[in-house]
Amino acid sequence: MLIDRGYIEVRPLAGGLDAWVDAGYPIEELLE
Amino acid sequence: MLQHLIALILRYGIPLVFVNVFLEQIGAPIPAVPTLIVAGALARDGRMSSTSVLTAALIASLIADWIWFLLGRRYGYRILRTLCRISLSPDSCVRDTEATFERWGMKSLLVAKFIPGFSTVAPPLAGATKASTLEFLIYDAIGAFLWAGAAVASGRAFHHAIEKLLQKLEDLGWWAVVFIGFVVALIVLIKWWQRRTFYKKLRVARVTVEDLKAMLDRGESPIVLDVRTRGARKRDLRRIPSAIVASSPEEVAQQLEHIPPSNPIILYCT
Repeated sequence: MLIDRGYIEVRPLAGGLDAWVDAGYPIEELLE
Repeated sequence: MLQHLIALILRYGIPLVFVNVFLEQIGAPIPAVPTLIVAGALARDGRMSSTSVLTAALIASLIADWIWFLLGRRYGYRILRTLCRISLSPDSCVRDTEATFERWGMKSLLVAKFIPGFSTVAPPLAGATKASTLEFLIYDAIGAFLWAGAAVASGRAFHHAIEKLLQKLEDLGWWAVVFIGFVVALIVLIKWWQRRTFYKKLRVARVTVEDLKAMLDRGESPIVLDVRTRGARKRDLRRIPSAIVASSPEEVAQQLEHIPPSNPIILYCT
């Protein structure tokens, strides 16, 4: 969908949020 | 030659149905519907019992699904990645499946087995959402009964055609075994190739967490999109700092309204 809208560099994050958290990188809490 | 094979199917028909359904539901690329259809046709001719076939399919399906349900409950969404690795259906996007599951809830288990890809992913998803075991087993049993029942009923309805086909295969002798083996191998090969191509594309396109961290540290500020479903975000309120939250295509379009198309975008799910 993003590529259809003209965005040329769209890349998924390998492992998603879990991989980011597992790597010990900073996170923030969503206010919902 | 094939008479021996059919005799074997007739002799070990029910365990064969059980093993085939179990393997398919656990994620192996071995379709069980053809077996159920043939079993239905044989049952119509009185050579097997429809009730036994359905019971075997139902129990096998429930055991496999329950294992995935428990794994989903224990390991959450991580188990879905393992599932994707062993499944040969890369087109079953976990996020889309999750969105479908969120929309329909446990009722989606009633039709899950009719939808390729959704069938194996739905039970661990139900487990990951911490759904009640009893509710899961009830919906899953009804879904498995409808699925196996439809296949067996088709076999019963078209038993003449299936008999003719079996007869032709029997006439072919060993060539029939070679032909069936070839068709099965071809299906598995095509699916394997699709998966390989899919993962190859993903490997090229994906960005690792280390790369993203380095990009953020360098101040490159790519647009980071959190495209998890609302349910997934409710269960886990964490996000990558500065990530833009967008669950639906409409929200994505709205959030990116003023972002030029040349801007790199990195999106993530759970």
